[in-house]
Amino acid sequence: MTALGGAPSPEMATWRGPEPMLSIAIALSIALLTAQCASAQTGPPQGDKTPNDPFAGVAPATPSPETAQEPQVSWLHKFLNDNFGFRKEILSEFDTNADGSGASRQSLGFELQKKFSTATSTIAGFDFQGRLVRRDGYNAVPNDMEGAGHQGWTFEYHNLYLDLYNIFNPLLGADERAASVGRFNFRIGQSYVPFGLSLQTDTHGTLLQLSNGNNFGFDEGWSAGFWGAINKDLNYDASYLVGSGCGLKWRGQGGLGALRVSLSDKYSSQYGIEGGLSLIGGERLAMPMAESDGADPAAAPLPLRTQRIGIDGRYRHTAPKGLLTFTTELSGGRDASNPVVTELHQAEYLHGSRRWGVAAQVRRFFQESRGTNLSVIGELTWYFRNDVANSNAHWIKLNLERQLQNAVAPPHTIVTLQYYFYL
Amino acid sequence: MNRLLLLSIVLLAAVPQILLGAIGCTLSNPSEDLKYLYPEMTTFKEELIEFPKLKDGAALFQGLRARLGSDLDPIYETYETAYTVYSVFKGSVRIGVVHGVNVPGKGGVIQVFLATDPQTAEIKSFFFQRLESPAARQLRSKEFRAQFTGLTLADFYKHDYYAVADPGAKADKVAAVRPPALDPAGRPDYVAALRGLRKNLILLDYFVYGRRFEPYFDRAQQAAHKTKD
Repeated sequence: MTALGGAPSPEMATWRGPEPMLSIAIALSIALLTAQCASAQTGPPQGDKTPNDPFAGVAPATPSPETAQEPQVSWLHKFLNDNFGFRKEILSEFDTNADGSGASRQSLGFELQKKFSTATSTIAGFDFQGRLVRRDGYNAVPNDMEGAGHQGWTFEYHNLYLDLYNIFNPLLGADERAASVGRFNFRIGQSYVPFGLSLQTDTHGTLLQLSNGNNFGFDEGWSAGFWGAINKDLNYDASYLVGSGCGLKWRGQGGLGALRVSLSDKYSSQYGIEGGLSLIGGERLAMPMAESDGADPAAAPLPLRTQRIGIDGRYRHTAPKGLLTFTTELSGGRDASNPVVTELHQAEYLHGSRRWGVAAQVRRFFQESRGTNLSVIGELTWYFRNDVANSNAHWIKLNLERQLQNAVAPPHTIVTLQYYFYL
Repeated sequence: MNRLLLLSIVLLAAVPQILLGAIGCTLSNPSEDLKYLYPEMTTFKEELIEFPKLKDGAALFQGLRARLGSDLDPIYETYETAYTVYSVFKGSVRIGVVHGVNVPGKGGVIQVFLATDPQTAEIKSFFFQRLESPAARQLRSKEFRAQFTGLTLADFYKHDYYAVADPGAKADKVAAVRPPALDPAGRPDYVAALRGLRKNLILLDYFVYGRRFEPYFDRAQQAAHKTKD
């Protein structure tokens, strides 16, 4: 019968079947072929089977039982080896102004980082960064706004915080966990003030700083709050700050509430753009940030009503043989009843080798009751190491600050030479 | 003033002129990035890996150059460089492995990330976190990156052999990858990106997959020697 159900063709009608020997040969061939197919389907992956293929028969190795099983180790060994980082830091800085008034700041420091995980999840992270500092003399350089009151030997800590990731996971079902990954993380301790680009910038070792030092008298402080993703485009940081700067102090201030909404990482990754909008309000201690403005460093800080709103942005773009980065932070608000305006603009060029870079910064701080501080800063850096993530750095910087306006003292020119090592 | 100047000179003279460094590569925002790659994920786990802490770490690091087929960069690719492997879970099942490396490009750093299948080690997704390059737009194109989906380290080792002994062989999946349209200024970054991708696969084979693709490396070496003879 044909497939269509019609009459058999003449060839089919006269066909008598194969000779007996030929039948046996065909049957054997089919059996062999079937066996080969079955073997290919159930065996391990094989190499390509072209006639001269040197990879024919090569299959991925399977790990030996020795390497497949984790050896038994003590909890201390596990603690110090699993997701544990310990880095050393050396900072040596000399600066002088045009009058020949020199200052020295030397420090030895460390950073300890540890992450804690379960079998399927990293649930917490801890960071502690400390320095033993020796200061002799003082000039108001941007990276040592709080240094005037700490002559001689001091131990300082900068980062000291605990992060709890996806903090509501224990309360959620599988679907809710999937929907909320990265949305509700909690941080408590001392870290960067969530205002401006500070949280997205590691200025721990750099001479050039962002605006918060001028704006609030400190760029790090004690806080507790949530951070994470709002959606695929935006992130948030919402915190309560004690408002005392580095070190936990209560002198009657009510503290500060801070909220920052920023562009998600995809904008940085795809377009080289970072940016955000920040709000902060409440009471902080007016730290002796204004030593350069003539305030008494020995005076006790007092609560000061503070309000700020700020907008910021950073843009990275390739340049001939390197990378250009432009940074801007703008903010306005009030300290008590006095209007305050801050501006910071920065341009940097980093050579493609990441061996050297140049930078220029203009920073302006205006407060109605005091006047204006305005500085232009130029910087040249030679890098021995320059990690993208700032986890490994080694450089020498030469920094020149020309103060164009100073609210209470004659404007100075300050030259700073810095050596920095972090590994 | 003179004392300060003298101290500065002494300090500068004391600094060694060449110091080797290490560069790590982590996701800037792991939750966000991993969720994008694996929308069904429920949790993820980070694991910091350093050669000095690995069993036979020094030997493994020595072997990296041979498997990569080019010298290691003294800034980006040192023994001390730390790596972070992200394991992605749905419930208790591991559904993905994500890992990134830095490689030097012409315009600066290139961060090459791979998402791979935990069972087969095949590439599921290939993307750049940072790409400081005049060819950034072309290299980031979905069409270009999608060509690597399904490849394994074995395909790269095989390519070493075929490129010399049998150019254009159908079995050479890496040779079948069509580069994006690039002007000469962007070409070095294309080469650097491919090098980063291969380095990433080699390190994943070391850190996660129990060196399962070593037989392909060995065979490629043997075959290449035979071809030379």
